[in-house]
Amino acid sequence: MTEVAGITASMQDYLETILELTDGQDGVRITDIAAKLNIAKASVNQAIAKLKEQGLVRQNSYGPVILTDIGREQAAKVRQRHHKLRKFLIEVLGVNPKVAEKDACLMEHVVSPETMARLTEYLIEHGKIESNGDVKCSQQEAGCGNANINYRKEGCALKSVQTKALNELQVGAKGIIIRVVAQGAVRRRMLEMGVTPGTEVTVKGVAPFGDPMEFVIKGYNLSLRKAEAADVFVEELL
Amino acid sequence: MEEMQSQQASGGIVVALAGNPNSGKTTLFNELTGSRQHVGNWPGVTVEKKEGRMFFAGQPIQIVDLPGTYSLGAYSEDEAVARNYIVFDKPDVVVNIIDAVNIERNLYLTVQLLEMGANVVIALNMIDEAQARQVEVRAEKLSTLLGIPVVPTVATKNHGVKELIEQVVAAAKCKKNEALRINYGREMEAVLEAVISEIKRGNALNERFDPRWLAVNLLTGDLKLIEGLVNNDTLNRLLLKQREYAKNLEQAYGDDVETIVAEKRYGFISGLAKEVVVKRQSVADRLTMSDRIDKIVTNRYLGIPIFLLLMWAMFQFTFTLGDPMIEWIETLFEWLGEAGGSLLESAGASELMKSFFVDGLIGGIGSVLVFMPNILLLFFAISLLEDSGYMARAAYVMDRFMHSLGLHGKSFIPMLMGFGCNVPAIMATRTLENKQDRLITILINPLMSCSARLPVYVLFVGAFFSAYEGLVIFSLYMLGIVMAIFIGMLFKRFLFKGETSHFVMELPPYRIPTLKSTFIHMWERSSSFIRKAGTIIFAVVVVIWVLSNLPAGVETASSESYLGQIGSLVAPVFAPAGFGSWEASAALVFGILAKEVVVGTLGIIYGVEEAGLTKIIAAQWTPLAAYAFMVMTLLYIPCVATIGAIKRETNSWGWTAFAVGYSLILGWLMAVIVYQVGSLLGLG
Ligand SMILES: Nc1nc2c(ncn2[C@@H]2O[C@H](COP(=O)(O)OP(=O)(O)OP(=O)(O)O)[C@@H](O)[C@H]2O)c(=O)[nH]1
Ligand SMILES: [Mg+2]
Repeated sequence: MTEVAGITASMQDYLETILELTDGQDGVRITDIAAKLNIAKASVNQAIAKLKEQGLVRQNSYGPVILTDIGREQAAKVRQRHHKLRKFLIEVLGVNPKVAEKDACLMEHVVSPETMARLTEYLIEHGKIESNGDVKCSQQEAGCGNANINYRKEGCALKSVQTKALNELQVGAKGIIIRVVAQGAVRRRMLEMGVTPGTEVTVKGVAPFGDPMEFVIKGYNLSLRKAEAADVFVEELL
Repeated sequence: MEEMQSQQASGGIVVALAGNPNSGKTTLFNELTGSRQHVGNWPGVTVEKKEGRMFFAGQPIQIVDLPGTYSLGAYSEDEAVARNYIVFDKPDVVVNIIDAVNIERNLYLTVQLLEMGANVVIALNMIDEAQARQVEVRAEKLSTLLGIPVVPTVATKNHGVKELIEQVVAAAKCKKNEALRINYGREMEAVLEAVISEIKRGNALNERFDPRWLAVNLLTGDLKLIEGLVNNDTLNRLLLKQREYAKNLEQAYGDDVETIVAEKRYGFISGLAKEVVVKRQSVADRLTMSDRIDKIVTNRYLGIPIFLLLMWAMFQFTFTLGDPMIEWIETLFEWLGEAGGSLLESAGASELMKSFFVDGLIGGIGSVLVFMPNILLLFFAISLLEDSGYMARAAYVMDRFMHSLGLHGKSFIPMLMGFGCNVPAIMATRTLENKQDRLITILINPLMSCSARLPVYVLFVGAFFSAYEGLVIFSLYMLGIVMAIFIGMLFKRFLFKGETSHFVMELPPYRIPTLKSTFIHMWERSSSFIRKAGTIIFAVVVVIWVLSNLPAGVETASSESYLGQIGSLVAPVFAPAGFGSWEASAALVFGILAKEVVVGTLGIIYGVEEAGLTKIIAAQWTPLAAYAFMVMTLLYIPCVATIGAIKRETNSWGWTAFAVGYSLILGWLMAVIVYQVGSLLGLG
């Protein structure tokens, strides 16, 4: 059940797509993923490399991409979140299914586990889902609620949330911190100095030799090496 | 009642000044106690706790200035000092100094203090800067929300300080009732509950520490903090369970406990800030003066040239302005020597007495004191660097370069401070979080040319290189920096492999240096220079004079004297470096005590004070040998005070001996290389 740290929204989308395309097969080809998401193969290759690094997928030299156990679990979790959120939006709040679908696509990446836990409790209490919390649709799409619009065909748009590492932002750019994946003492130091999820950061500059970088956060100037900034994921504000 | 008695027994209320680095603690401390502690505009100026006293309404109050800290987590040595004092020494009142411009981050520590149940009074400092930025912070509102006194202050102008101390005295009378409780969310609260009841069931621990605070620290795995308390069964048991608790919570929240705790605390703080901070203008969009300066100073292309230019300007300033003043003092000492001499003669003093006063005291000490103006100016320049806020930028700008050599940008601050004196510079390394970085920075610091080497340079440069004074002296300083960096690199490569360091540093806004703090800088260093001249150097000079006149009947300061014999013993070692005379060797041997003594010893040996000294040296030395001698003086063995500082800060005789040993070898090697290569090039 543990969440693997630092999986960006787009990575989550990839996982979800791979999970879906995998159904019943041994692995998925890069071409299929690219076609499904309607993006260049090169980008897919890059993303897969990252997923491999994080131990979420396996791939033998340009062969099919296969989800690892952790990858499968993560993908299933995102999918579960999606379904629960969609169910809640449609059946409890009475949101138009199309809008609900789109919103669920966005929310599934950023919703906090705490909110998710409450939402699940609520859905169980009101008999919207089974008492073990399962929506039971990871195998069979058809069983997923009655207002099932063709979600799988469209997929969740990759551009839904622009998640970047903090060091990838340009000077002058702004972002909201989504996640801090640094480890050990430096992680705690950053958290205590205000680098917490939900906080806005602005890139103020880069030092003459190209490292460290300077940021404005909570109204003061903080400098971090690129290596540290790379461990902070932000949603870029455009 | 018991509380009051214990206060009186210890001689009054004990008040600690705590807060984020650079929030103005020391400035306030100086205002309260009338002390003159070092203030500077960069995080990490104060690295040890300083105590002072004041009286309020006839009542003694003990004030303790602490190093700045962002949290009670304590990553570096200086932060640990502050944390340990607050947590374990339990001052009666903690005055938490908060930078009003930067309220959210500053309140993080406040929250921790309040959670701990400390008796806190907030000093809302830098109100002037907040006003200039069109930010209003509602002190009363903050006070009501937190349930503790909040006093607006401007420490630099002594505003609000009296009100603050009134609040402190009042707070000391009534113990604070309850620790602050932050709601950490349902799952976390449940676990906290369990841990707290376990702690309570355990034993008397909860009387000394708030159980909830202990529980939170336990869950976040702040082991360094717990270590201090850990020889306790209950805690040991809980520590074993900590991983399991943390893991369960991680599953519930999808994030680790540290993040949850930090997030909840900041959540609480941003709630406070919303009610308390009123921004009149959209601050974010306005470029402050500081931002504008930074655009230039840390600019991609200008950053490095500006850094070098500033260094160059610092030395030019020190020497071009200082030299005319040297002449005045020289004249003064010449006159003093002559007047003293004739006075002693007319009083019928023996030739020996006269020699003691004129050659020994006036010649020895005078030849050192002559350099007072240079030293004052140098410290003036350093104080401008420190107080303006440039120090932190130097670390920022140089980090990449230093990092590529395996060092750390923050090492640059102690290195720059080393130009003044290596002792405080070595202490300043406490702000380096990483142990290896810190050790390397300590070991290479003596290579930075401190102000005590100045007299040596000025003397020899005056004798041989007066046309290129600035350049020659600058070359020595640069040699020191280059050697420090090179040696640091070697150490990193061969002694301390691996271990990554991090660079997380606040860049404070630029400030106009205050007269007071500039004065403190200059006063502090020059008074210690004069004190040194009056104590160590005086004593050494007397010893040297005696040695130069023994055994009885020997011609003063001749090679047959004990001094001459000591020098002659060592001299052959320095022959390849071009200064194999017994005079040079004797000066170097005694220079270990304090580097100014090198000049003092030469003063006695040549039996003249400064002005004549230049002439004699010009006649007896060659320029190349003089340069080699300066290189040796720059690099060889740190002075006794610095050796002491190295021992204290490394806490190891091994490393101390290593620092002494390597620098001796390095100094000799470089001096020989300079002399031999120079001779080959026909410069001899
Ligand atoms: N404008 C303004 N500047 C202040 C005020 N109080 C302190 N300063 C400046 O802030 C800087 C830091 O002051 P210090 O007293 O050294 O700060 P500190 O909290 O002791 O810092 P550390 O020892 O590094 O933890 C100095 O440049 C002071 O002149 C204030 O009330 N207003
Ligand atoms: Mg201080």
